[in-house]
Amino acid sequence: MATQEEDYLGITDYKVIGTRPIRHDGVDKVTGRAKYGADIDLAGMLHGKVLRSPHAHARIKSIDISKAEAHPGVRSVITVKDLPLQEDQIKDLGEGAANLMDLRCNVLAEGKVLYHGHAVVAVAATDANVAEEALDLIDVEYEVLSPVLTVHDATAEGAPLLFENQTTKSLGEDTGKKSNVTTHFQHKLGDVEAGFEKADIVVEREFDTATVHQGYIEPQNATALWNADGQVTVWCSTQGAFTVREQTAQLLDLPVSQVKVVPMEIGGGFGGKIRVYLEPLAAVLSKKTGRPVKMVMSRTEVLQATGPTAGSYIKCKMGVTNEGKIVAAQATLMYESGGFPGNWAAPGSMCIFSPYNIADVQIDGYEVLVNKPQTMAYRAPGATNAAFASETVIDEICEALGADPFEFRLQNTSKEGTRRADGPTFPRIGNEECLQLARETDHYKSKLEGKARGRGVASGFWFNAGLKSSASASVNADGKISLVEGSTDIGGSRAALAMQLAETLGLKSEDIKPQVADTDSVGETDVTGGSRTTFATGWAVHKVGLDIKAQMIERAAKLWEVAAEEVSYVDGVLTNSADASKQMTFAELAGKLGETGGPVMGRATVQPPGVGGAFSTVIVDVEVDTETGKVEILRASIIQDVGKAIHPSYVEGQMQGGVAQGIGWALNEEYVYREDGTLANGSLLDYRMPTCLDLPMIETHIVEVPNPGHPYGVRGVGEVPIVPPPAAVANAIYDAIGVRLFDLPMSPGRVLEALLKKD
Amino acid sequence: MNAFEYVNPSNLQDVPQLLSQKRDRKSVVMAGGIDLLGELKDNLITPDRLVNIKALDLRYIRHSKEGVRMGATTTLSDLVSDEEIVKTYTALAEAAESVASLQIRNVGTIGGNLCQRPRCWYFRGEEFHCLKKGGHKCFAVDGENKYHAVMGGGPCHIVHPSDTAPALIALHATIKIHGPNGERTVPAADFFLLPMENLYQETVVHSNEVVTEIFIPKPKAGTKSTYLKFKEKGSMDFALAAAAVALRVEGGVCKDVQVVLGGVAPKPWQADASALVGQVVTEERVVAFANTVLKDAAPLRDNAFKVTLSKTMIKRGVLALV
Ligand code: SF4
Repeated sequence: MATQEEDYLGITDYKVIGTRPIRHDGVDKVTGRAKYGADIDLAGMLHGKVLRSPHAHARIKSIDISKAEAHPGVRSVITVKDLPLQEDQIKDLGEGAANLMDLRCNVLAEGKVLYHGHAVVAVAATDANVAEEALDLIDVEYEVLSPVLTVHDATAEGAPLLFENQTTKSLGEDTGKKSNVTTHFQHKLGDVEAGFEKADIVVEREFDTATVHQGYIEPQNATALWNADGQVTVWCSTQGAFTVREQTAQLLDLPVSQVKVVPMEIGGGFGGKIRVYLEPLAAVLSKKTGRPVKMVMSRTEVLQATGPTAGSYIKCKMGVTNEGKIVAAQATLMYESGGFPGNWAAPGSMCIFSPYNIADVQIDGYEVLVNKPQTMAYRAPGATNAAFASETVIDEICEALGADPFEFRLQNTSKEGTRRADGPTFPRIGNEECLQLARETDHYKSKLEGKARGRGVASGFWFNAGLKSSASASVNADGKISLVEGSTDIGGSRAALAMQLAETLGLKSEDIKPQVADTDSVGETDVTGGSRTTFATGWAVHKVGLDIKAQMIERAAKLWEVAAEEVSYVDGVLTNSADASKQMTFAELAGKLGETGGPVMGRATVQPPGVGGAFSTVIVDVEVDTETGKVEILRASIIQDVGKAIHPSYVEGQMQGGVAQGIGWALNEEYVYREDGTLANGSLLDYRMPTCLDLPMIETHIVEVPNPGHPYGVRGVGEVPIVPPPAAVANAIYDAIGVRLFDLPMSPGRVLEALLKKD
Repeated sequence: MNAFEYVNPSNLQDVPQLLSQKRDRKSVVMAGGIDLLGELKDNLITPDRLVNIKALDLRYIRHSKEGVRMGATTTLSDLVSDEEIVKTYTALAEAAESVASLQIRNVGTIGGNLCQRPRCWYFRGEEFHCLKKGGHKCFAVDGENKYHAVMGGGPCHIVHPSDTAPALIALHATIKIHGPNGERTVPAADFFLLPMENLYQETVVHSNEVVTEIFIPKPKAGTKSTYLKFKEKGSMDFALAAAAVALRVEGGVCKDVQVVLGGVAPKPWQADASALVGQVVTEERVVAFANTVLKDAAPLRDNAFKVTLSKTMIKRGVLALV
C-alpha cells in the first residue's frame, strides 16, 4: 500500500481546483425545481402520521387502536408489534453506531416511552388530516413515571432508571451496578498527578451546556412503496442513502438488496439525518395497505423526537508552569445520550485537549441516559461542548500568566508527531499555521475600543472521517462526463466532486455532470458526515478519473497504432510522443470511442485511510449591553486549515455556517424542558435560533496545509468551524465585562443575572 | 387540526350572526391568520367555523385633521410604510415594524396583533390544562417562567404579546368593536383585561364580536413618540420587555408623557408618569421614575432580570425623545 506521503500529488498549478465555478445543482435550487422529499406525489399515495407520547417517561399499559382503525379513510394502524423483533446488536451507521433493538424501540415505543414525543402508533389514511383525526381516536393508557432530564438528575442517588436492567460498563467491564450511566471510558497519557505537581498555576472549572438541535430547515420525511414483488423503495431526506437502506432492511428483516433508497435533495442535516425515524414506518404501512405511504414531520415533531445533540456537564482542569507550558490536563465529560444509549462523550474526549501538546493527560467520559430524544451528531458532535470547557480554562490561564492567547497557544500547539490522549499521533496538521495566521489577521491587529466591548479567541479540533465511497462515470460522445456518486449533497459536494474529476482529467468543471444516485445505481457509500465527502468521495472520483485516463490513453494508442506508453495525456490533450503532430483533445477522442472498442466508463470504490484532522481558530468581538444582558457580536473571524479548498466559496460557506450555528449555541439556543419532562419550546418561535440580523458578516481565512493522505490535500471542512465559537464568545464576554460564564446558552437573562451578582 | 367550515362574509352586519352559534359549537374570527393557524395546528382550539373578515373592506388607513383611522385588517406592513404614521404616530410604526419578520408583517393585521393569544409555554402546550384553559393550576408559577410576567400577574402570569398595543395606549387610541347590538368604542387603555378580571380572555371582545377599526387622535403639536423593544433575537421574537413612550416637552419642561410597557404583564402596563410632568426631564428623574414603576414588581423564579430590563427600556425610551 502506498504510504501517506505518496498520496498527496503536490500539484502547484491547479486548473480547476481553487476556482469558483457555478454549482451544477444551482439552477434547480434557485428556481425551486429541485425535488425534495415533501414534493413526492405518487398515484394512490396514502399519508401517514405518528401518535407521540405526551409523557417523558411512562409505562405503556395498553394501546387501543380499534376506533382509529374503524375511522373512515384510515387504511392501516401499526404499533411496534408490527416490526420484527431485533437482536441486541450494534450496527455501524457511518457516523455513530446504532443498536438495532434500540432503533426498533425508538421508531415505535415498546413497553415504555422514554421521552416526550416518542413515537407510539403510526397511522396511514387517505389524507394527512384524516390521519391526524385518527390519532385522536387512539387510546393509550400510561403509568406515568418520574423523568430524569439532566446528567446530574440521572446520576443522582436513587434516580429513576430508564432501563431497569441497565448497568454501567466501566473501562470495558460490566460493573453490574444498575445506573443510567451506560458507559464509562478513560484515556490516559503519562501520569496526570505527576504532571499537576509540576504546575505553578492550576485552573479547574465546571461547565453545563444545554441540549441543542441542528435546526436543519427541512423536516424529516419519508415515502415508501412496498411492491407486490417484495421490493421496497424509500424516498427520503438523508445524509446517507445506504445507511437508511441498512437500517430499514434490518428493521424490516429484509435482505438489503430488497430495499432501494432514493435520496432526495436535502435541506440540511448537520449530523441529524442519519438515523431513521419514519422510513420503516412508511414501509410497514405500505406493506399493509399495498399503496405508497408518505410521512412528513412537523417542526414540533422534529424538535421533540429527532436527535438533538447532547447537553453536557464537563469538569476541566489544566496546569501550567510560570513559563507558560501546559504540563497537565484532566477532564470529566458527562454527556446526555437521551432515551437510548449514545456515544458523544467519546468524540468529545478525542478533541478536548487535542490542540495542545500535553505530556500528562487523563480524560474520563460518561454516557448518560436521560428522558430526552436519543441524541444525534451535530457538526463535530461532542467537540463543541468540550472546547467550551477547555478553551475557557485556557483563557483563564492566559489571563493569569498575562500571556497573549495566540502566543500561549503557539507555545503549546500540537503538531505533526504530537500524541493525542486517545492514542493516535498526529500526521501533518495545520494547527500552528492557523494560530500564526490568526495572530496576523486584520481583525486581531485592530484595536477594539468602547465600553463593555471585548475580544475572545478559541481553537478547536475535529478528527474528520474516511469511510467508504464509490463512484462511476461514463464518457459521452461529446466529451462530457456523466458522474454518478453516492454521497448526498448537503453543502455543494456535487460541485466539489465534479471539480476534482475535472482536475484529474484536465477538463472543465462544466464538462462533468454529477448526479447523486440511489442505492441500486452506485456502489456502497457511507454518509455525508464526518466532513468526509470531499475527502473520501473525492478520492473515489480521482480514481475514476485515473481509470478513465488510462482507458483513453489506450484508445488513442490503438488509433495511432503505438504502445500506450508512447501516448501522453496533459491537460485533457492526448499526444503521440513519437509524432507530436498527432494530437487529440479528450472530446475528439470521445467522439471516436465507437471505432476503438466501445464506450468508456471509469469506476472506483475506496476506503481511504489518510484522513486529515482539521483545526480552526475563531476571533470574536462582542459588545455587552450591561443594562439588558444582550451580547452583540460585532465582528467574527474564522481561520481554518482545510487542506485544500476545492471550491473556496463553499468552503467559506461551511466555515461561516459553522460559526453562525456556534454563535446560536453560545447565546440563545436551548431545549427547555418543563419539570414533567415535556419540551416547552418545540417550535422555532420559542427555540431561538439566530437569524442573519443577529450576526455580522463572518470573515473567513482559509489555511491550506495539505493532507498527506489525499491526492489534492483535502481534509474536510464542514464540522470544525462550529467547535470554537461558544468558547470564543464566552471569553469575549469576560473581556468585555469581567464576568465568566460557565453555562450555555449565555442568554440576556443569564448575563444580566451574572452582572447583578458581580455588583 | 380538525375539519372546520370556512365562511367569507362580505357584509359586516352578517359577522355577529356567523360568530354566534349554538352551545358547543365554536366560531372564530380570522384576519391574517398568523396566530390563529398556530393555535389550530397546536390543537389549542378546535373551532367548527372560521369567519374570514378579509373580504370586509377593513384594510384602510385614513388620515384626517382629527387623527388616523385604521381598519382592523390593515397589515402591519401597511402601517410601517405609511409616511404619515411614521411621522406623527411614530411609536405605532416602530411597534409594527418590530413584529416578527417581514413575511409575517405582510400578512399579520393590526386587529389580529391586538387579539393574539399569549405565548406562555404551558398555554401553547396541548398537554397542559392550565388555569387559563379551564384547569386548576398555573404551571408557570413553579415551572419555566423566564418569559412570564413580573407585574400584574396572578392567578395567571402570561405577558401580553402585542407590540402595537402599548404604542396605541400611549397614543390614546380607541378601538371600535362590532357585535350583535351594533358598535361600541373602547379606549385602548380599557381594551385589555388582567387575569384577575377575566382569566379566559385577554381583551373585552366577546366571542360574537369583532374589532373593526382603530382610531388615534392627532397628538398635540410637539409630541414625539417611540417604541423600544428588547428581544433576544434580531427578528422573529417577542418582547422580553418593551416601552412605548409619548412625550411632549415645551420650553424644556415636560408637558405630557405616557409610558406603557409591553412584555412584562398580562396586559400592556400603563405607568403613572405624572411625576415627570412639569419637570425638566433628566436622566436622574427618569431613573427614579422607572424605579417607582417597577417598585411593586413580583418576579417569579427565573425572570428577575426582567425588572432590570424594564427599567432600562423606560429610561432609554423616555431619554430617546428628550
Ligand atoms: S401563565 Fe397563564 S397561560 Fe401560562 S400556565 Fe399559567 S395560567 Fe396557563
